[in-house]
Amino acid sequence: MSGTELTENELIEDRIDLSRATCPNREQRANGINVWYGKASDLAKEARSGCLRQRERNFQQSSGCVLNFYLSVRIGTIRDAVAIYHAPVGCSSAALGYRELYRHVPVELGRPANYDLHWMTTNLGERDVVYGAGEKLREAIKEAERRYNPKAIFILTSCTSGIIGEDIEGVVSQVQPEIKATIVPIHCEGSRSKLVQTGYDAFWHAVLKYLVKKPEKKQKDLINVASMLSYTWQDRLEIKRLLGKVGLRVNFIPEFASVEQFEQLSEAAVTAPLCPTYTDYLARGLKQEYGVPYFLYPSPMGVAHTDEWLREIGRHTGKEREIEALIKEEHEKWLPKLKAIRQEFENFKGNGEKVEVLGALGQGRLLAQVPYFDEIGLKSSAAMCQDFDNLILKDLEKLLAQMGDFDILVNTFQAAEQTHITNHRNPDIAMTCPFQGGAFKRDKGVTRVHALRSDAHPWSTQSGYTGAIAFGNFLLQSLKSHSYQRTMKEKTLSTYKDWWYKQPNSLYYLKAEE
Amino acid sequence: MGISEPLETNNVISGAIEAPRYSCALAGAYSTAVGIFGVVPILHSGAGCGIGQLFGQFYGGGQNAGGPYGGTSTPCSSLVEEHVIFGGEKKLEALIESTVELVNGEVFAVISGCVPSLIGDDVGAVIRRYKEKNPEVPIIHVNTSGFAGTSYDGYEYFFDAVIDQLLEKAPKEKGLVNVFGIVPSQHIFWKGEAREIKTLLEKIGLKANLIVGEFEALENLKKIPAAEYNIVLSSWIGHKTAEKLEEKFDTPYISFPGVPIGPKQTSEFLRVIGERLDVSADVIEDLIAREEKRAYRFAEFVGDILLITRPHPYFAVVADSNSAVSITKYLANEMGYLPDIVQITDNPPEEARKLINEELTTDLETPAWPEIIYEVDAYRIRENLKDRNFLFLLASSLETPISGPEFNALHLTVSFPSYNRVILEHNYAGFSGGLTLVEDVMSTYAGPL
Repeated sequence: MSGTELTENELIEDRIDLSRATCPNREQRANGINVWYGKASDLAKEARSGCLRQRERNFQQSSGCVLNFYLSVRIGTIRDAVAIYHAPVGCSSAALGYRELYRHVPVELGRPANYDLHWMTTNLGERDVVYGAGEKLREAIKEAERRYNPKAIFILTSCTSGIIGEDIEGVVSQVQPEIKATIVPIHCEGSRSKLVQTGYDAFWHAVLKYLVKKPEKKQKDLINVASMLSYTWQDRLEIKRLLGKVGLRVNFIPEFASVEQFEQLSEAAVTAPLCPTYTDYLARGLKQEYGVPYFLYPSPMGVAHTDEWLREIGRHTGKEREIEALIKEEHEKWLPKLKAIRQEFENFKGNGEKVEVLGALGQGRLLAQVPYFDEIGLKSSAAMCQDFDNLILKDLEKLLAQMGDFDILVNTFQAAEQTHITNHRNPDIAMTCPFQGGAFKRDKGVTRVHALRSDAHPWSTQSGYTGAIAFGNFLLQSLKSHSYQRTMKEKTLSTYKDWWYKQPNSLYYLKAEE
Repeated sequence: MGISEPLETNNVISGAIEAPRYSCALAGAYSTAVGIFGVVPILHSGAGCGIGQLFGQFYGGGQNAGGPYGGTSTPCSSLVEEHVIFGGEKKLEALIESTVELVNGEVFAVISGCVPSLIGDDVGAVIRRYKEKNPEVPIIHVNTSGFAGTSYDGYEYFFDAVIDQLLEKAPKEKGLVNVFGIVPSQHIFWKGEAREIKTLLEKIGLKANLIVGEFEALENLKKIPAAEYNIVLSSWIGHKTAEKLEEKFDTPYISFPGVPIGPKQTSEFLRVIGERLDVSADVIEDLIAREEKRAYRFAEFVGDILLITRPHPYFAVVADSNSAVSITKYLANEMGYLPDIVQITDNPPEEARKLINEELTTDLETPAWPEIIYEVDAYRIRENLKDRNFLFLLASSLETPISGPEFNALHLTVSFPSYNRVILEHNYAGFSGGLTLVEDVMSTYAGPL
């Protein structure tokens, strides 16, 4: 490891260049990786010294690509738009639940009553691969306009359109004059990056380049929040409730947003994060191009962080006094409930030991949840993280200073590694994405990290004050429910052979350095 | 495979499509592998192909998880730009070795995606080298890619690989039959259907090798050549497989337009099978008599609700050809429902369309022949449903939110995708399957009278 530490300016490529067709990959922009196991302090040191580098695995599992985690599903929810996948038919199939899934959010809770979502695939076949399919894309764009008269048409690229060298920009500039909708090409070729976060940056790049308009007027009471639906619908309601109390409005994008909401992003008072690593590129772009201030930390998860999150917004909107009053009022209501949860966790083991939790989180949630776990009296001596890049380095260092060291396994949905660390750590609660293979098979509590289709029940809230309480209770419940996972463990074959669990290293299949 | 050797595909649609009800050829091969318990798929593809199909095929096929080898549990070479430039063969080699070392499984199936096909990886050579070193490991290469067709093509490519790379001639075993044509996930009731068909065939003394939805993957695959007959439960899916097996192992095949639903279709199915396979007519007729008696005695119990609430209604179907034919025939021929329009969503080849049309017209015991439309595009499917008479819409979950508001029809999900019905063993096959279908249809309106 070299002794020279990188300065903030060297850590990430800060400048957003909208003259380019797309963003740089997270690998280039912020030295992103998704293979690492060890002490979080060592990870931070390696990153700070510029020595951290991506490694290869000899065993790997399907984990999501730039397109298919989870961009397809998000873009499909944008109203008055059509998404066109310039891809073989399978790349878009994750979007197939577009018409039905979000109907589970009741209209009474603010889901638009009349919305109709649309997506098409150019259905690339053998012939297109040989001869090119620019004409097909042009026709699809025209057909999308004829069918729905949308305000925007998003073009999503794929491995295939990338490798055969489709000239997307050429097609767009050629066909745009004939089309009323704004055409928004997103370069999310699955093979372009190992890091799914690159997909989000690619999306925001396209939004910044093609959709955001110059501000006509500044809206001093408007807050941009990039809210993924892995945060729940209730999280939105909580954010809206809190900001509404001090007279602020929220511009939630991209899910269920209208195209106009994207156009107005430049007019907001501030861009605030739910998930910093998701919001980063957009926030920086809006600042650079239109002077919209932003902050990335903290996220409104847990009481202390929600306080800070609100104070940041207060500073940017001149609402400091109102925010302080709000915080006081909310604390009176929620702090006793938080205390009760804390007590229940503290007494759970009956021997003074803390309940251990292992979370499989995105890097944004890592920073938000570890302190929250501490707040409700849980111990988190290890964490899993989808990927890691320098965007969060400073805040990871801060977290380490506050919370002390912990172990970290960086991987994107590697089920074998996750099952391994879960078995070895044997925490009381293991949090996981629902689709992580057999990681749920164990004797103790397992629960989800987040909801997939924006569960609309208050019980699922994670953000803000109501979220701090609801999520605490949710975690308590998970300690009490074992029968499915235990039975599955007993009655079904493990995907992996026994030796896997006996050897000590979650990253056993890390490829040797050449 | 290089792109210079195009695969034979049924995917004749060349234009853009809105929300088609199937995925790509990789997805079909992948869901077939996952549907045969003991086969470990190894995707040689971009990292998102598995998780994409977890959402697209497995969740779409009745909100099923990927199981021990699907979704994020699927070994995957996760190809990115550096492999596009330098090739992905080395990565695959290491992946195969580690997978066999780590994962409990009986058969390993390397399934190629778009990237290796485009960059010209010689996957066959990688596997040949591996086999030379490890002759004891059953491993096949499913020569496909995403752009080589649809999920249905992928199903055939999977068995193509099995036949070419795993099977050896075997002496014929009396009474052994293979069953093809049920594509895991695409047929949302595949697990229950497979089990019901197996039970039916066993009841007439045959040994049924269903393969999908079964354990002992290696054994079941290996005994394919020993079958006396291949039964294909589709007017087109699995036909190529059956033809190839006929050519290679002299196994004759017989096809039906879909999985039989209810007594009439099931009895006919059993009679034809009995005749071909030389099963005593007494055995068949005994079984039919017993099962019919029960099925029709139970059907009497819906008499009141049928007549009180929505008697002789028109209905519409949007489904793959197998489901569409069997469901339409059951509702028309046994329940007295009137078919208004049937939209076939799986893009069957021209020669199958003739047969499907016949099944949906001359084979109906009613002059109310439906309009038959072959359509995969969600927009046009929706347009075609406008301004019609139907009171019931038996379709996919895509139609759930629009069925009432746009067409004034009660909706039931019976075809892919099924995001609003969890389907594990539920199915409509066999004598009592018709009753299950009736339960589901009538439960959309039954309540206090």
